[in-house]
Amino acid sequence: MVYGLFLVSGLAVGSLYALGGIGLVILRNSTGVLNFAYGAIAAFSAMFAWQVADWGLPGVISWISAVCIGILLSVAYGRLIAPSLAWREPAVKAIATLGYMLILLGLIGFIWEDALRKIDLPSDKIGIYLLGVRVTVTRIIAFVVSIGVVIGMVQYLRRSNMGLNMRALADNRDHAALLGIPIVRTESLAWGISGALAGFTGLIFGSLVRLEPTVITFMVIPAVAAAICGRLTSLPLTLAGGLFIGVAESMLTLYKPAAPLRTMAPFLIAALVILWMQRGQKLTFAKEV
Amino acid sequence: MKLTTTLLVGATALCLASFANSAAADGHGPSCGLNTGEAATGDPIKVGGINGNAPPGDFSGGTDAAAAYFDCVNANGGINGRPIEYIVENDQWNPELAGQVAAKLVNDEGVVALVGNGSVVSMAVNANLYKDEDVMVMASGCAISECYESSNIVSTNQGPLPSGIGALTYAVEELGTTNAACIGFNIPNNGGWACDWMEDYMSSQGLTGTSILMDPTAVDLNSVYLQALSEGADTILLMLPAGPAIGLLKVAEEQGGRDLFKWVSPTPLYEPGVAEVLGDYWNDNLYIHIELAPFDSDGADNQNWAAVVEAYGQDGDRRDTFSQSGYISAKFFVEALLELDADSIDRATVSDAIRAINGAESDLLCAPYYVGDADRHMPNSTGRMVAYTDGAFEVVRDCFTIESSYLEPIRAQEAALGITQ
Repeated sequence: MVYGLFLVSGLAVGSLYALGGIGLVILRNSTGVLNFAYGAIAAFSAMFAWQVADWGLPGVISWISAVCIGILLSVAYGRLIAPSLAWREPAVKAIATLGYMLILLGLIGFIWEDALRKIDLPSDKIGIYLLGVRVTVTRIIAFVVSIGVVIGMVQYLRRSNMGLNMRALADNRDHAALLGIPIVRTESLAWGISGALAGFTGLIFGSLVRLEPTVITFMVIPAVAAAICGRLTSLPLTLAGGLFIGVAESMLTLYKPAAPLRTMAPFLIAALVILWMQRGQKLTFAKEV
Repeated sequence: MKLTTTLLVGATALCLASFANSAAADGHGPSCGLNTGEAATGDPIKVGGINGNAPPGDFSGGTDAAAAYFDCVNANGGINGRPIEYIVENDQWNPELAGQVAAKLVNDEGVVALVGNGSVVSMAVNANLYKDEDVMVMASGCAISECYESSNIVSTNQGPLPSGIGALTYAVEELGTTNAACIGFNIPNNGGWACDWMEDYMSSQGLTGTSILMDPTAVDLNSVYLQALSEGADTILLMLPAGPAIGLLKVAEEQGGRDLFKWVSPTPLYEPGVAEVLGDYWNDNLYIHIELAPFDSDGADNQNWAAVVEAYGQDGDRRDTFSQSGYISAKFFVEALLELDADSIDRATVSDAIRAINGAESDLLCAPYYVGDADRHMPNSTGRMVAYTDGAFEVVRDCFTIESSYLEPIRAQEAALGITQ
């Protein structure tokens, strides 16, 4: 019974990691950028949603604004900064996003002074009991959306022209350009989808965990671990990785000596997955884009 | 002769200060130092202050209030004619920067003391520097053992250990607690330190205590809550900053946990604005130990703190416990300096004057404040309990002394100095 409690609890948090990981993988698949600023975009979006609600605007407007600001911040980087790094190594592209993360974190600190805040969603008040744990509709939404996004994106990438373009870019950017694929448009769409997911994740995270910009920003770490479980390419494996990390972290709580160290779980799991999956195969970070 | 002059000046200053405090209590505006109404124009006395103000938290309330008080003192005769030049640095929670700014203040600027400090990083990094250079730090916001176990740091705020045990004392005596879970951060000399002593306290009462430590960036607060549930605790002590404590309370609300546990917390959860985020759910079910007077207390010093911050502070200054604490540190510091001959003020005389503080009183505190010459300092180890009721906080137990074996050396110091808690 007690394992059931922690399983359900872990799945709820894991779905947040998975959502973050999925946003990272979608972007990396199309642009080659591992976006470490993903968490900061989510944090900015969550704070903006709180601000909109604090101005007295209806809840729906504030939720939509979180997604919109996520898209805006993500596409702004994708259009203004990322193109000048398009031909650099993957590591350089990733490190550049760290700079963007610091800029956003600084901006958040500048705009919103440190204070107690929270985001209340109507879905927080409704819940069902599952294996003894009350699961709120917000948590269910996070779980369902993470699965829905994976299914939707896999279908989109397989069946739509833009999805084909994205896959072509992911395979080889140079060849895709020579074939006349609209790189800027395709990449902008990827940045936009990733930004929308970041905004949504930030909103849910701000409600479920806490509205603290630093905590939301560093949510990118387990999200990257989830993405690594999917080798930065596979959405279903990223989903599985995120959920597994969440459950492992939760279950470690039961073993008291390991409980204070359970935030190590994402790194350990990612490292083990890397070692397991690249047995004699291609290197995760060596892929040409 | 010089001694007589100094004593006369000091006595006059204290009389003026007492009169001024009464005036402030009567609503005649802020009262500071000599309260002459004339700006000090002499040779400035350099005083430093270090805060941590960057994500993940703003601990600038202490230095903000100290700055406001010093400005008020400077506008009212200064330290016998000499203004205080208060130099505040922000270490941004960066240990390297904390070391640099402390070296700048202590070595380059030659400050006579540091007042209002509010950075746990700086305390941990610089405790040895302060000792080596024999510069005293009258801190205001601290939460790690180094703040309370160093010869040259004396912090007006209690930190989590006494305040947490104070909350638990109330829970044991009034709420019937027999098995408490202390939820704290897994930060060296912070959560583990405070929760270990909580366990010691529970054990000394023949009761059970359990520590549940989590990473500061932990996302899965649900599991932390469930761990407390699986430990069989009947009380949760939230040994956490306000943000994560609110996060945990929200998880508990989700799980209907209000009635499964008694909920108590040390001071950090007593913060302006906390009622807005708590909502009605926690009415009459959350008890907080506060280490200084309530924000709305009508005590003369509390009123003067509010008046000083209002008149001399900045719009963005925090009005929290650290701010009250910074005000007290600055006030006692000024009172100590006013007893010195203005021309003899240097680091050595100031350090001695601070160590000589004994029996200083304020309605913000429950017991007299003191420093003394010791290898550790904790002049504030009493407090009050408030309950969260109808969106506000109501005092449910007035000043009481906190008992813990950790405080035995402190009580011995107090006995030697003739202080009674």
